[in-house]
Amino acid sequence: MMQALAMIFTPQLLEATIRLSTPVTLASIGAMVCERTGVTNIAMEGIMLMGAFFAAAVGYATGSPWLGLLGGIAGGMAFSLLFAWAAVTLHINHVVAGAIMNILAFGFTRYFMNVFYHIQGTSPALPVTLHNYKYAVPLLGSLPVIGPAFFNQTPIVYMSLVAVIAWAWILARTRLGLSVLAAGEHPMAYETLGRSVPRIRYFGVLMSGLLCGIAGSFLSIENSNSFTEGMTDGRGFIALAANIAGGWRPLGCFLSSFFFGFVDALQLRVQSSGLLRIPSEIFLVFPYVATIAAVAGLVRGSRPPAAVGKDFTIEGEGD
Amino acid sequence: MKRALVLAIAIAVVLTMSVEAQSAKPLVAMTTDTNGLGDGSFNDGVYAGLKRAEAEGLCTVKVVEAHAMTDYVPNLSGLAEDGAKLVFGVGALMIEQIQEAAKGHPNTYFAGIDHYYGGEIPPNLIGISYREQEAGYLAGIVAGYMTSKYSKNSPLLNGKNVIGAVLGMDIPPVERYLAGYIAGAKSVNPTVDVRYIVTGTFADRAKGKEASIALIDQGADIVMQIAGLTGMGVLDAARERHVFAIGADVDQNAAAPEYVLTSALKGTTISAYKAIKALSDGTLKGGQNIVYGLAEDAIDIAPFHQFDKIVPAEVKDAVAKAKRDIISGKIKVPVSLAELGIKK
Amino acid sequence: MKKPVLQAGLLTAALLMALPGVVLYLASYFWGAWLLLGALCMLTAERLLTRGPAEVGVQARALLAKAAMPVEGICLALLIGAAIMAVTGHDPISSYGALFYGGLVKNWDVSVLNATPLIFTALAVAVAFHGGLFNIGAEGQYYVGVIVATWLGLMLRLPPILSLPLIFLAGALAGALANVIPAWLKVRTGAHEVVTTMMFAYAVATLSPIFIRAHGGDPSMTDHPGATDTILQQSQLPVFKSVLPLANYRLHFGILIAIVLALLVRFLLSRTNLGFKIRATGFNPTAARMQGISVAGITMASLLISGAIAALSGVTQVVGLDHRMYQNLSAGYGWNGISVALLARNNPVAIIFASLLWGTLDAGGQYMARTVQTPNAIIEIIKGVILFLMLAEYLWTWLSARLRRQRVAA
Repeated sequence: MMQALAMIFTPQLLEATIRLSTPVTLASIGAMVCERTGVTNIAMEGIMLMGAFFAAAVGYATGSPWLGLLGGIAGGMAFSLLFAWAAVTLHINHVVAGAIMNILAFGFTRYFMNVFYHIQGTSPALPVTLHNYKYAVPLLGSLPVIGPAFFNQTPIVYMSLVAVIAWAWILARTRLGLSVLAAGEHPMAYETLGRSVPRIRYFGVLMSGLLCGIAGSFLSIENSNSFTEGMTDGRGFIALAANIAGGWRPLGCFLSSFFFGFVDALQLRVQSSGLLRIPSEIFLVFPYVATIAAVAGLVRGSRPPAAVGKDFTIEGEGD
Repeated sequence: MKRALVLAIAIAVVLTMSVEAQSAKPLVAMTTDTNGLGDGSFNDGVYAGLKRAEAEGLCTVKVVEAHAMTDYVPNLSGLAEDGAKLVFGVGALMIEQIQEAAKGHPNTYFAGIDHYYGGEIPPNLIGISYREQEAGYLAGIVAGYMTSKYSKNSPLLNGKNVIGAVLGMDIPPVERYLAGYIAGAKSVNPTVDVRYIVTGTFADRAKGKEASIALIDQGADIVMQIAGLTGMGVLDAARERHVFAIGADVDQNAAAPEYVLTSALKGTTISAYKAIKALSDGTLKGGQNIVYGLAEDAIDIAPFHQFDKIVPAEVKDAVAKAKRDIISGKIKVPVSLAELGIKK
Repeated sequence: MKKPVLQAGLLTAALLMALPGVVLYLASYFWGAWLLLGALCMLTAERLLTRGPAEVGVQARALLAKAAMPVEGICLALLIGAAIMAVTGHDPISSYGALFYGGLVKNWDVSVLNATPLIFTALAVAVAFHGGLFNIGAEGQYYVGVIVATWLGLMLRLPPILSLPLIFLAGALAGALANVIPAWLKVRTGAHEVVTTMMFAYAVATLSPIFIRAHGGDPSMTDHPGATDTILQQSQLPVFKSVLPLANYRLHFGILIAIVLALLVRFLLSRTNLGFKIRATGFNPTAARMQGISVAGITMASLLISGAIAALSGVTQVVGLDHRMYQNLSAGYGWNGISVALLARNNPVAIIFASLLWGTLDAGGQYMARTVQTPNAIIEIIKGVILFLMLAEYLWTWLSARLRRQRVAA
């Protein structure tokens, strides 16, 4: 029994957790920014999928995974622009618009997979992926447990950690951060200060598009070497849950994404160790139950921005 | 003059006959499972068989990719209605649907890949299954030797005497592979530790990669994939973590040349080809289950390609001997974990 | 002849023609359309008689105007789809030809079968929408219905006349129960039901393999892994073929149940007190509270009813079509139900037609993929564009109307 436990709880578990939580961390920060400006974004699944697709397509066409990453970001941002237009300018209900975005993303990627590569399942493999650019930070990489997990990783993993720190700083210390927070809490007051709520909302949505684009790129050109249909596998929604569970705060997003990644990594290792012969589904369901608990406010202080999801029209009539 | 006329008539007859033969080329069709083509193993293997037959002029080919399980019956029936003479249904998950389609279209042959039908089989339905355990056994022998006795032959091996397997779903063909793999490895290396993980899906590449990494973290230096598209993730992990992978169903060396030691070949390609050949010869018989194994030349392990030099003669001889023994019946390869005494 | 008698006669005639007309047309007896046309004539005659030609004209024009927008949206989406097809090297004309022939004629039965579960989930989403709530997790309640129906279908040994209603009732109750926690959380803590219903849906989907393995799907013991045993004969819905021999053998009565349910929901929402309260709460909860409506109670009621209807979707699929539960069957009825509800603007009767449209696109798309080799993923794009355009147009007109009013007032 002890031997099995020792086999499960190894430094590699931490490293796997960080790796598994990276796309969710990125997307949940994106959700956080977006929702902080007042736009409910359930389209992250679709945006991430578009990012993954374009990253693989551009990476394959140009042979450079870095260009692929740019492609993924561009794809994610372009698609989120459509969502921003629908939700902010056309005043379509945010949840409704988000649902439509997801449908569009699935259809688009499936159709163009067929058109570009004439097969449905998987796109052709990139010869060089971002995984080849794994980088070990000089001193810190050799620290005992946290070294390999945090400081000897592939590029996008680093980006996710940077994103968390960056946005924690932005929200706490900069005018931009203040704008984002204010627009989500009191859009009317924000407008009377002479600022533009639609503009900051566009920013919020595009930022989520950028981060989800990076998250999608991770899936296709860093963790793998091609795009597979539907490869986001619900991570966009888990990110939404992670944001809520994290109380719309950067560190909270990171911790809940970490938790979800941890459960995922743990479940595999427990299975192969033969320790517990319980159905793996029991593990897999943990994140969802945890989210419901968090959303119910069992996580203290988890309160959404006051104006999230509420339409903002210039006549001054909120919803 | 008369000879010229006879010759002309003969040529005309031959020409018309060949034209008729052309237009009488039967249509052979297949519907993939929800993974579609490009899964690198299963669907692609069957498709390759159809393509080979087409290249030899035996038939014309049509493929439809299913998106959801509800597509199986419309696809199978629809292809029959389109005039296909032989329709392949790929994958154990459409076992009920193909029986339905066969009953509804008695004039078309249906062949189910990975299907074994119980009870009364409609006369136009053929179940094709394989003795995956034999392929698994051969792969297991290679893995058992290389991970321990010959671990010095390659920097990818670590001598910890642990090998792994990543499974898609816990369905009979997968379990047969695994049972053979374990038996084969233990037959040459009784102390080897074989670990496996069931990912629960044939379609999640990232999950396959994570499962392999979990096994690699636990010391495995050879990981076999029995997971279709999920299994491509195993190759990803092998590439990243510098260990060996063993492919399944078709020769997967090309997908990760530096890391795929061998593959357990299932003969999907050749079984599909043989069925089409029988159709065009007129010898195709329905209402039966055909099982393909070593004896039918359908099971094997793939060549070692660039690893041919590091795999020593003892291993190759052991594989050859095992093949002979399995065919002669001297070795009985287990088909389930229960037979091995492993509780699930 | 006396007017009321004539009126009653016309209405009865309309009904007597409409009912068989609908049943026949659904079973691919396309001449049933003549009966429907006849029913329409009877109805128009009755209206002319009771309301007079002027008012009938106004009503007809209003109806056409209302129908114009979705039709416009659909046509525009089809045009965009054609453009994408052309740009990517597929012939739009033959593609659309195959699409409509396949969906409306050749595989009309598949279209109807596709539409059936959608009607239920769309109704569920619509009821929630009317109450101001988003039941995004309809997919999970669908699964709950499937599980309950499969379980009872394997166990109950009663004649169909007892077992089927029992299964439907149990399924509806289970679906309502599934939404108890999200509803309660919404009322007590304000937890957004989008997240709670969605998480519940994922949880059910994740845990369902356990149920399947326990009921005949265990790979080590069965020859049909990944699916439960087939439910007993007496728990299976009758099929059209039992009365109409030319109908496809898979077409089951579920579509009729769905249509009846849609009419019931319409009645509930527009003619009952509860329906009024639901709509009032959805429109303006504050005003509703001031009118003495218990917003908390209505919120719960809306979500529970929504859950019950969504679960019936799953029940119908099991007792009507699949007769078992499949693993990994995420046919997306929840998501597509949301799309259909949006397209139909949450109007129960329009939902019937929107569902048939969606079902036709899917069935026709498969036919198109098979015959002209155009990938049927274009259907997903077309669907998305239809929704997008429809909503954009609707909101554009609404918004421009408001701006105009504002400008006039200013």
